[in-house]
Amino acid sequence: MMEDKIDDLFDYVQVRCLWQFFSRTWDRQENIDGVLGKAYELFTGKEPSLKTPADKLYYADAKSMVSDCLASFPWIKQASEAEIRQVLDGLKVRLVENVITKSTNRELTHHLY
Amino acid sequence: MPMVLLKCDSDIPERQKHIYLKGPNEDSTEFLPVANAPTIPGTLSERGCAFCGAKLVIGGVLKDTIQMIHGPLGCAYDTWHTKRYPTDNGHFNMKYVWSTDMKESHVVFGGEKRLEQSMHEAFDEMPEIKRMIVYTTCPTALIGDDVKAVARKVMKDRPDVDVFTVECPGFAGVSQSKGHHVLNIGWINEKVATLEPEITSEYTMNFIGDFNIQGDTQLLQTYWDRLGIQVIAHFTGNGTYDALRGMHRAQLNVVNCARSSGYIANELKKQYGIPRLDIDSWGFNYMAEGIRKICAFFGIEEKGEALIADEYTKWKPKLDWYKERLQGKKMAIWTGGPRLWHWTKSVEDDLGIQVVAMSSKFGHEEDFEKVIARGQEGTYYIDDGNELEFFEILDLVKPDVVFTGPRVGELIKKLHIPYVNGHGYHNGPYMGFEGFVNLARDTYNAVYNPLRHLAGVDIRDANPVALPVKIREAA
Amino acid sequence: MSDCNCEVAENKPAEVKLVPRERAGIINPMYDCQPAGAQYAGIGVKDCIPLVHGGQGCTMFVRLLFAQHFKENFDVASTSLHEDSAVFGGVKRVEQGVMVLAQRYPNLRVIPIITTCSTEIIGDDIEGTIRLCQRALAEAFPGRTIHLAPVHTPSFKGSHVSGYAECMKSMVKTIAKKGEPTGKLNVFPGWVNPGDVMLLKEYLSKMEVDATVFMDTEDFDSPMLPGKTIETHGRTTVEDIEDSANAIGSLSLARYESGSTTKLLADQFSVPDYPVDTPYGIANTDAMLRKISEITGKPIPESLVRERGIALDALADLAHMFFANKKVAIFGHPDLVFGLAKFCMEVELEPVLLLIGDDQGNKYKKDPRIAELKAAADFDIEIVHNADLWELETRIKKGLKLDLIMGHSKGRYVAIDANIPMVRVGFPTFDRAGLYRKPTMGYKGAMELAETIANTIFAHMEYTRNKEWILNTW
Repeated sequence: MMEDKIDDLFDYVQVRCLWQFFSRTWDRQENIDGVLGKAYELFTGKEPSLKTPADKLYYADAKSMVSDCLASFPWIKQASEAEIRQVLDGLKVRLVENVITKSTNRELTHHLY
Repeated sequence: MPMVLLKCDSDIPERQKHIYLKGPNEDSTEFLPVANAPTIPGTLSERGCAFCGAKLVIGGVLKDTIQMIHGPLGCAYDTWHTKRYPTDNGHFNMKYVWSTDMKESHVVFGGEKRLEQSMHEAFDEMPEIKRMIVYTTCPTALIGDDVKAVARKVMKDRPDVDVFTVECPGFAGVSQSKGHHVLNIGWINEKVATLEPEITSEYTMNFIGDFNIQGDTQLLQTYWDRLGIQVIAHFTGNGTYDALRGMHRAQLNVVNCARSSGYIANELKKQYGIPRLDIDSWGFNYMAEGIRKICAFFGIEEKGEALIADEYTKWKPKLDWYKERLQGKKMAIWTGGPRLWHWTKSVEDDLGIQVVAMSSKFGHEEDFEKVIARGQEGTYYIDDGNELEFFEILDLVKPDVVFTGPRVGELIKKLHIPYVNGHGYHNGPYMGFEGFVNLARDTYNAVYNPLRHLAGVDIRDANPVALPVKIREAA
Repeated sequence: MSDCNCEVAENKPAEVKLVPRERAGIINPMYDCQPAGAQYAGIGVKDCIPLVHGGQGCTMFVRLLFAQHFKENFDVASTSLHEDSAVFGGVKRVEQGVMVLAQRYPNLRVIPIITTCSTEIIGDDIEGTIRLCQRALAEAFPGRTIHLAPVHTPSFKGSHVSGYAECMKSMVKTIAKKGEPTGKLNVFPGWVNPGDVMLLKEYLSKMEVDATVFMDTEDFDSPMLPGKTIETHGRTTVEDIEDSANAIGSLSLARYESGSTTKLLADQFSVPDYPVDTPYGIANTDAMLRKISEITGKPIPESLVRERGIALDALADLAHMFFANKKVAIFGHPDLVFGLAKFCMEVELEPVLLLIGDDQGNKYKKDPRIAELKAAADFDIEIVHNADLWELETRIKKGLKLDLIMGHSKGRYVAIDANIPMVRVGFPTFDRAGLYRKPTMGYKGAMELAETIANTIFAHMEYTRNKEWILNTW
């Protein structure tokens, strides 16, 4: 069940988003952490912090993701905070694996842009 | 075996690493075409050179800048009259090109004097123009002219001018992509933060990686105006040299073409802490999403929603008319790189079109990660495709339309397949809401072209197949 | 002095002066570089794919240029030179390119190997590489002959005009071989449109002259066929080029584009060289036909006398009514510009400014057509050599009054911005439809060109409301 939910979100992000595909591993990691962090706050009704430019960026990306996912996946509305946490953690693992650790993109670790 | 060795490639089996046919439940961690790799000589690749990536694609778009090409006249001639990027000042950028007209004596004795003289002449002939980009080419790079020193000397002699140098000969890298990179990195290191922009709004951004093809930038600018967002610099559609010097003052970098211009956005993030937001500007869904994200960043969501609602009211019915008629049509995309991933899902979602094959000239592996994630199963993903491969793929996927350049368009016309100009557009702009209706219209007009039916007729046929009476409907 | 007070213009003879571009740099080049012209010559041969030894842009843009002009695709390959070759030399990429082409294109018979600025500076040994390639080809494809022609066309010399001539000459030098006399006439028209090639072939056929046109570009205008075959390629075969050495003579119609090849055929194979002025306009066409008749002994047929008459009849309707005293600037290939200048004077247009390109100033000075213009002109003519299109634009901005511009599409904005009617001639003419199909040479070409000029001027009169009412009755 949990895997299905992670699948839902993973498929959505891969088809719909660009932030996980930035140029280098550290950018990808930063975006995955940042956007999913803000998504968690939004999914669970917390007031996201918008202090830094990066906060605002992740919020902007997360907001679209959250509203699309709420519309597409009815299970999210029923999910508890803990469950959301679990799904997003699972999603993070999947994304990191897919776009960072297992990616064969030869440019990902180049130290310069 | 999802990496595909085409029949025409039997003698160059290394091409297999570049062609992928997506199977069920596969992803790019298993199969990713090798990209941004050298081209095999003699394959009739579609690629251009690094020089053109810098001059023709990015620098030459600027509307107030002399493009001084230090080399033989051909490099200037060839990167002139090959783009459709108008400007709001009468298309200065499309009307002129400059060359130092390098000759054999300069190869032997050096071309720096020739460059210096040509730079002065250009400023003298066009006294209202005060900005210049100097490009090296294959021969000037090989003989080792110090163009930076010449630029410094000219700037010293003429305190009111500013000159940027791009050292990017055609043989650098493997494609035009190298030129994008050199120009991006050179600009951030040498020119950004050398001029302070005038700030006129509390919301400021740079719009990066959009080159005003048939007015894309100008159309999108109407949205930013309505939202009250100041675009400090357009990199580089309808842009100015000095605006690009003030990029460091924007609160946000919005990136459309991540391939040609992602570098500068990355550096602006690294050096100035400006966040990078990647969006897709082609397609209703995508454009709306991009506007939503930008507005969310600035906290002006209501304005964004109002704009999107307005635009949907105005354009969505037109789009839907085309969608009804394009549903299920098959498209191939042979373009530079990013348009593969920008378009595959937008034409699917907004127009019901299935993209069945895609080839990229200069995309990197990052572009293939994106397009394989977004694209369909049963679709071919090709890096640096060549002419014989195109024929074979066309036969395999039988598209109703191909988005590609005019030369390939002329080729496939003989196969009775219509093309739409995927680089310079047929009748754009194609970005934004109105733009995507234009794209839909051009696609409809290509697919529903009566000549296609006539072309298949052999007048010697004793029992000709009846042609459809009605092919097109009033739009 | 006369008795009246009216001013009498000083009766000075018309001046025809040849001046160079004074600036070092170019603003808006009129020509492309040598490798571009070499590629154009190469695509005129059947079963031939030129291989350009240089960066990929040197090929990609030129293919685009051909596609823009002809609205067709042409195959040209690149060795895709990269940094490593710039350091270590690029001959391996030539070898690889030749082998890949031979493997993937089984009908291929000719590969001109076209150098560029970079590979000439690097100093790649093309002749030596060709020897290596021939050995490798013989091993891989026994019994198959592929001609490899070395074409040295550094971009820092000449222009696409000289590059065209160089490739033509090299292909003939490589392939032509002495054999049985064919009784045929070689016709070298230079860099012209398929429309001109078709016209020349028609004339030769009307005169019952057995001739071969180099290059036969008729199929550069190729059909969409029910069977979807692609027939866009040159028609000149390897055998045609071989037999160019066995012809009764070579008619060279373009001093700067075909002259070096016909001279080579004369020097090396004793094929008599007959250069004539490029047949634009009536008198030049007369001279060409007389020359063909003289070489072959075949009379000029009645049908051509009639075609000439029809052309003259049409020109007479236009010349002194609409064309007389109108000032014209012409730019493009020198053979085209000099030919059209003479044609203009036949129809009372005044070609006051001629722009010809590249760096052959001294060569141009000796061109007898300049002396001829001097003898004929009753108005001043300025000929700018080594010109760019800024020479045209600045003269207009500084007050030169022109009624018409004739040239290729790269000059379109000069005409648009100055609001001067422009007739597209030469190469490339991508901003007008179908011009490659129409002849400019010959009687018919002169007539059609004059009519295009007239219709362009008429449309301009209407858009600018300038005596458009004259045409209310004509």
